[in-house]
Amino acid sequence: MSVQETAGPGGAGRAETETRVLGEVTEDLREVIGEEYVIDMDITMETTFSQDLELESIEFVALADRLRERYGEAVDFVGFLARMDVDQVINMRVGEVVQFIVDSLPAPATAGSA
Amino acid sequence: MAEVIANGVRLHVQRLEPRGGASADSPIVVMVHGMVMDNISSFYFSLGTCLADAGCDVICYDLRGHGRSERTRGGYRLADSMADLAGLLDALGVDRPVHVVGNSYGATLALAFGLEFTARVASLTLIEPPFLIEGLGEEMARSLSQILVAMTDDEVEEWLDNGAGRAITKATRAAQRLLSDTTIATDMLATPAFSAEALAALPIPVLAVYGENSDIIGQAAGLAALVPECTLIVLEHHTHMVLREATGYLRDLLRWWLFDRRTPPPPYVRPTERRFVTPEWVTQMVPPPDLNTGRRPAVG
Repeated sequence: MSVQETAGPGGAGRAETETRVLGEVTEDLREVIGEEYVIDMDITMETTFSQDLELESIEFVALADRLRERYGEAVDFVGFLARMDVDQVINMRVGEVVQFIVDSLPAPATAGSA
Repeated sequence: MAEVIANGVRLHVQRLEPRGGASADSPIVVMVHGMVMDNISSFYFSLGTCLADAGCDVICYDLRGHGRSERTRGGYRLADSMADLAGLLDALGVDRPVHVVGNSYGATLALAFGLEFTARVASLTLIEPPFLIEGLGEEMARSLSQILVAMTDDEVEEWLDNGAGRAITKATRAAQRLLSDTTIATDMLATPAFSAEALAALPIPVLAVYGENSDIIGQAAGLAALVPECTLIVLEHHTHMVLREATGYLRDLLRWWLFDRRTPPPPYVRPTERRFVTPEWVTQMVPPPDLNTGRRPAVG
């Protein structure tokens, strides 16, 4: 893991991408929920949609809508969600969505090549 | 969020397509959810994403007054719901027949839509439709009173305030507002009966699915007997909530229905780990007896 994180394509870049994507997912989540309790909440990769955020399933639809718009064709949310039922979706951790997005995005360009 | 003005009402719509987009010959599937305590999410997660992934062009939407669609004061009669759906297809530019999949009241609406807008419909999938030739309005009102009782009782209020959690409380409060601020209850009571003659002449293939233990299983045989091209599937060990209970099988069944109908339907293996039954409190129209027991000190 440490080798991956420090060298090779997608190594150091992946950790950065993950941080960036977590920030983007968090921003969309806060807007979808739109209530005070979520503004100060520390949303991490371990946060669960059902237990921690108490997300309604229709709010997950709205979240998926925003993420589909944000990431476009590169991220196949339909295919991702098609393999789960509603309980599996709502029982996910935020990190599982973030990992899926990061896995789907084109590998980030390494420093110097951009 | 995708919003469309249809029949003068703002409707929340989600269009789901396979990777790379739908093609000109992809089946267009429109999903119509149930009444009051339901919204776009039940179909979105059960059949929507799955059928889109399998190659369909899927349209899920929130009915008027539900989910994230506009809550108008009036306009909840069956004829209004049909006009909303026709308007939605117009607004989306859908110009070929669609496969309509409905659940509960959404299935009754789908059947009525098939009779009224026959040329716009390629097939109908009716999951647990309330279906009666006589007294359909009363049946709709009965379903609604079940929901009302389940939401207005003191026990339920206590539960919503203390133990239900944010998601259930939000959904229930939205349903309460729909019932108190709109004409939906009286509009439902006015639901006209189906015409037996019109049903007997329906030229659209119909897939009807009921749960063996549903409180309305008695209505299945009448539907299957009247509609000429009806495939009736009754799932053992399941209830009116079959969309939620048997999602896996319904995914296989719908893929068969849309892509492979010349072959026999996929075999159904009844669940052995759990036998779903309709709780007595549902048929008796009372709140669940154990709603608040978890938080109260034990008596005696």
